[in-house]
Amino acid sequence: MMTRASSPSPQAVRPLRKLHARRIGDAFTIVLTLAVLFPFFWLIQVSFRPNEDIFGSDILFSPTLEHYRALWKGNFPGSFINSIVTSVSATVLAMLIGVPAAYALSRAQFRASRGIRMWILVTRMAPPVAFTIPLFIAFKFMQLHDTRIGLIIVYLTFSLALVIWMMKPFFDAVPTALEEAAAIDGCSTWRAFFSVTLPLTAPGLAATAVICFIQAWNDFFFALILTRTQASTAPVAIVGFIQYAGWEWGRMAAAGTLVMAPVVIFAILVRRYLVHGLAAGSIKG
Amino acid sequence: MLVLATLTVVPGIYLALTALTPLNLANPATAWNFEDPLGNFRSMLEDPSFLHSVKVQAHLSAASVVLQLLIGLAVALLLHTSTRIRDVARSLLLIPMVLPPIVVGIVWLALFTVDISPIHRGLAWLGMPVGPLLTNPSSALWAVVLAGTWQNFPFAMLMSLAALQMVPASPLEAARIDGASAWQVFLHVRLPFIAPTLVVAGLFMLIDSVKAFPLIFIMTDGGPGNVTEVTNYYVYRQAFSFSLWGYASSIAITLVAAVFLLSYAIDRLTSRLDKTQGSLS
Repeated sequence: MMTRASSPSPQAVRPLRKLHARRIGDAFTIVLTLAVLFPFFWLIQVSFRPNEDIFGSDILFSPTLEHYRALWKGNFPGSFINSIVTSVSATVLAMLIGVPAAYALSRAQFRASRGIRMWILVTRMAPPVAFTIPLFIAFKFMQLHDTRIGLIIVYLTFSLALVIWMMKPFFDAVPTALEEAAAIDGCSTWRAFFSVTLPLTAPGLAATAVICFIQAWNDFFFALILTRTQASTAPVAIVGFIQYAGWEWGRMAAAGTLVMAPVVIFAILVRRYLVHGLAAGSIKG
Repeated sequence: MLVLATLTVVPGIYLALTALTPLNLANPATAWNFEDPLGNFRSMLEDPSFLHSVKVQAHLSAASVVLQLLIGLAVALLLHTSTRIRDVARSLLLIPMVLPPIVVGIVWLALFTVDISPIHRGLAWLGMPVGPLLTNPSSALWAVVLAGTWQNFPFAMLMSLAALQMVPASPLEAARIDGASAWQVFLHVRLPFIAPTLVVAGLFMLIDSVKAFPLIFIMTDGGPGNVTEVTNYYVYRQAFSFSLWGYASSIAITLVAAVFLLSYAIDRLTSRLDKTQGSLS
C-alpha cells in the first residue's frame, strides 16, 4: 500500500512530460520541414525577383513577371507543350493497356507471372543508358529520332511496367466474391470489372496515373539523347539556358518553377494515395 | 505487352551484340565485326578511367545510401507519432522526391555558387566562409551526394514510416513496462522489426544511385577533372561524346548485369519478407 501511495507522483508527471515531448517534437518538425523545403521556396522566389537584385536577401521586393515573359517569347513554350503531350499520352496509353493487364495477372494464375514480375523489375532498374544506345540507333533508322511519337513510345514502355507493377496489388486486394456476386446478378465479366472492381481501386488508379505522369515528366536522359530541337522537352530546354545563354538565373528559376509546378500540384492533390502507391509500388511485388 | 517486349528485349539483344564489336560511329565498317568479341571487356579492365569511374560510383553509392537511410530513418522516427503538424509535415517532406531531377540540379547548382547562394552568405555572416564546393575536387562529390540526399531521403523516410507502423504494439509495451529507455526500445525492439524493410529500401537506393545522371550532368559535368564521373556518366561520354558505341555497350552490359544481380537480391528478399510478415499478422 505504501509503495503504491508513493508512486502517483511519476504517474502524474508522465502525461505532462509527454505533452512537453510532443510540443518539442512538433516545434522541431516545423523547423526541419522549413529547412528541408528552403531550396524549393528559394527557387520560386528567385523566379519572381527583378534582375537588378536577383539574389538579394531582402524579403520585401516587388515581384515581377519579366522572367516568365522572357520565357514566353523564346522556345520554351514549345518544349513545355512537348512535355505535356508526351507525358500525358504515355500515361493515358499505359493506363489503357496496363490496367487490364494487371487485372488479368491478378485474377489468372499464370505460370509466367513470376517471370513477368522479374522482367518488370529489371526494366525499372536497368540504367537508362543501356537502353539509349540501341534505341538511338533504332530511332535514327526508323526516323523516330527527335519526334514526339518516339519519346511517347519510350515513356510508354517504362510506364506500362510501372502500371502493371503498381495496379496488381490493388486488384489483389479486391475480393473475388464481389465479382462473383455481380456475375450472379447478371453482370458480364466486363461489366463487373467496370462497375465493381474498377471503382474500388480508384485511389490506386489515381496514384498510378500520377506516378506514371511524374516519371515521364521528370525524365531527362531519354529526352536529352532522343530529341534535338523539334521534340525536346522542358527539362532539356532548361539545360539549354545554361549552355547557350550564359548564366541566366532568373530565366532558369522561372523555367524550373514552371517545370516543377504540375508535378508538385499533382503530388499534393493525391498525396495520401501517393504515399500508399510509392510504398506499395516499391516494396510489394 | 508485345510493345513492351519489343522495346525491352530487342534493344537488350542489340546491346549485347554491339558490346562484342568495336563499333565506332566514325567508322561504319566496325559495325558487325566480331573478330575479337571480348576485346571490349579486356580493354575495360585495363582502362584507368573506367576503373576510376567504378571507384567514384562506389563512393557516391555508399555515401548516398548511408546518408539517406540515416536521415530518412531519423525523420521517420520523429514523424512516427501522429500529431496534426507532423501529419502535414509528412506530406510536405515528400516534395523533393517528386521534383524533376533537373530542377533539383539547378537549385543546388545555384546554392553551391558562392556569390549568389544564401547558404554561403549565411555561413560567411556567421564567420565561417566556405569556398566553392563544386569546383573543389575534394568536395565536389560530397556536394553531389548532398543534393542527391536532399532529393531522395523522403523515400527512405516513407519506407521507414511504413515499417514502423507495422511494428506490433505488444513488445513495445512490454519493453516500456520493463523500464527500457526510448533508445533501448528503438535499438532492441523497433530496429530488428524494421531492419528487413530498411535493407530492401537500401538496395533500391543503391540501384537508383547507379542511375544518377541529371544531377551530375547539371552540377559538375563529371568534373572537376573526372572526380564526379560515375560509371553511368562515363558510358554516356563514351557513347555520345566519343561515339565509341561498342565499348560503351560493353560497359553498359556490365552495369545492367550488376543491377540485375541487385534486383534479384531484392526479389528474393521481398518474397522472404512477405512470408515472415504473413506469419506475423
